[in-house]
Amino acid sequence: MRSMVIILSIAVGLFAGIAVLALYKGMMKSRVRTLIYAEAGHLQIHDSNFKKDYDPRYVIINGSKIIKEIASAPGVLLAAPRSITQGMLATTTGSAGVQINGVIPELEYAVSQLKRKIVEGAKFNSAKKNEVLIGKKLADKMKLKLRSKLVLTFTDSSGTIVSGAFRVAGIFQSDNAPLDEKNVYVDIKDLNALLSISYAFHEIVILLDRDEDVSSIQDNLRRRYPGLLIESWREISPETDLLVKTTNQYSYIIMIIIMIALAFGIINTMLMAIIERTREIGMMLALGINRLRLFTLILLETIFLTLAGTPIGILAAWLIINYYNKKGLNLSGLGEEMMSSFGFGMIIYPEFPIDKLAGVLIIVIATAIISCLFPALRALMLQPVVALRR
Amino acid sequence: MDTVIDAHNISKVYNPETIPVYAVNNVHLHLKKGEFTALVGPSGSGKTTLLNLIGGLDKPDEGNILINGIDITKLSANDLIDFRLHNIGFVFQSFNLIPVLTAKENVEFIMQLQRINKKQRDERIKQLFKEIDLEDKLNERPSKLSGGQQQRVAVARALASKPKFILADEPTANLDSKSASNLLDIMDKLNREENITFLFSTHDQRVIDRARRVITLVDGRIVSDTAEVSTKHEDADMKH
Repeated sequence: MRSMVIILSIAVGLFAGIAVLALYKGMMKSRVRTLIYAEAGHLQIHDSNFKKDYDPRYVIINGSKIIKEIASAPGVLLAAPRSITQGMLATTTGSAGVQINGVIPELEYAVSQLKRKIVEGAKFNSAKKNEVLIGKKLADKMKLKLRSKLVLTFTDSSGTIVSGAFRVAGIFQSDNAPLDEKNVYVDIKDLNALLSISYAFHEIVILLDRDEDVSSIQDNLRRRYPGLLIESWREISPETDLLVKTTNQYSYIIMIIIMIALAFGIINTMLMAIIERTREIGMMLALGINRLRLFTLILLETIFLTLAGTPIGILAAWLIINYYNKKGLNLSGLGEEMMSSFGFGMIIYPEFPIDKLAGVLIIVIATAIISCLFPALRALMLQPVVALRR
Repeated sequence: MDTVIDAHNISKVYNPETIPVYAVNNVHLHLKKGEFTALVGPSGSGKTTLLNLIGGLDKPDEGNILINGIDITKLSANDLIDFRLHNIGFVFQSFNLIPVLTAKENVEFIMQLQRINKKQRDERIKQLFKEIDLEDKLNERPSKLSGGQQQRVAVARALASKPKFILADEPTANLDSKSASNLLDIMDKLNREENITFLFSTHDQRVIDRARRVITLVDGRIVSDTAEVSTKHEDADMKH
């Protein structure tokens, strides 16, 4: 019974530790997936001056030629242009600063899944002019509904302030609420006309076939287009990169906290075991077992119990994580607003952290060994005469 | 006969600074090889304390105990453990077998501590279980054995290390009369045939009747010792 308690404690502790790592891995992967496939792409190209103050004059020179070359390069899945400017969205009731993205609808639907994100209304109608897609958060804030009119004001490429009246064609909602609040999408033709940049654009968003190729393709592009600013998703969104790195560390901290709780469980159970077996230990000491052997005996017992609990914990974690990896784990209970404010989706697909398994095992075994030291030392201090009297 | 136990002037005091209680008070005891000795006396007379002192489980406050010429009161804790392993066999009142081990493993455990090889261990176990007449119970756990059978396994365990002598603390106290008689037969046989030295504390008249020497303790002092009487008789006979 006592052994079962320790085995189960180890199994539960291991399961909890792996589950935390799996959840964090799933969350981070989800965040990075969202960033790459719904926001920034793997790589972005701008004129080297453009991002300093988003001046619409700094279009990508020979953009059409470059985008064709990139789209046909090996390892590139898709390349889409965007015209971008910072401006003011105004309605009869108020105004808000926004980033206006001029997009080629069909390419944008593929590069940022914009169509999939539409929760009200429809995609761009090619037969209509001056349609705008706005985020739900912005729509709520500005009290905008479908077919509502709004005015976008910004400076054109010559520095002149221009305005355009647009009608809301659709409202989208992504997993990133701050992004929804600050971005609006219009047809590139409508925006370029107002910016007076004809067929030019400011940004090329690139999706690759494989995440692993980001660095090599980035290097190739930098060599090929030395005058352009070519950034990976890590540079475009350093906060996401930092989040991934720090979450990795946090997950270990949480795991260590779980292990500390587990350690107290093991200490308690092993102490009970020592108390229960005081006579037995006294007898062994009387018969001639030396203290080093007794210590080793208790240590080995804990290690064997740990090793017995380990496969159970790993198997349970693997089964449950794989189940949720396929079905998805709905975290809307944690607060939709909170999750989307950090750029996380409601459905997380935890991933078994096979790469961290060795580390987890070391932590669990070390916890078990450290936890049994105190009970083992207590056993060593027993005097056979006293122990045999119990 | 060779002297196995030679205890001089040994005392054990509890609460020395408040109300001193002499559990063992200035005891002299000599035991020769092959003796079959009962240590008797009322409860609290110091029988178990004296056995613990002789067995090196406790240290006397005064006096020396020489086992085969080695003063165990001067040994360090680790040396004493090693000494016990190779020189003293213990049989406890409540058997004290390890419940998770089989009868065979309980006996083998001592020999493993002595680093005796597997072949020798198997031979010795076979011989010991034959002597205690439990050859068919080798692989039974203690919970499947009767009290008498458990105590016989405990005797086999005590013998396994080939000790210089065996200390048995009330070995028949938890046994019915048939099991007690059976156990005494085995101990008696081992003593007569293999010249194994036994010193046991007891209240049991059957055990006292079988002992060839009886030492009586009262309030921590030896008040009578049949060996001294015999010696005096022998001396008187010699003079005549």
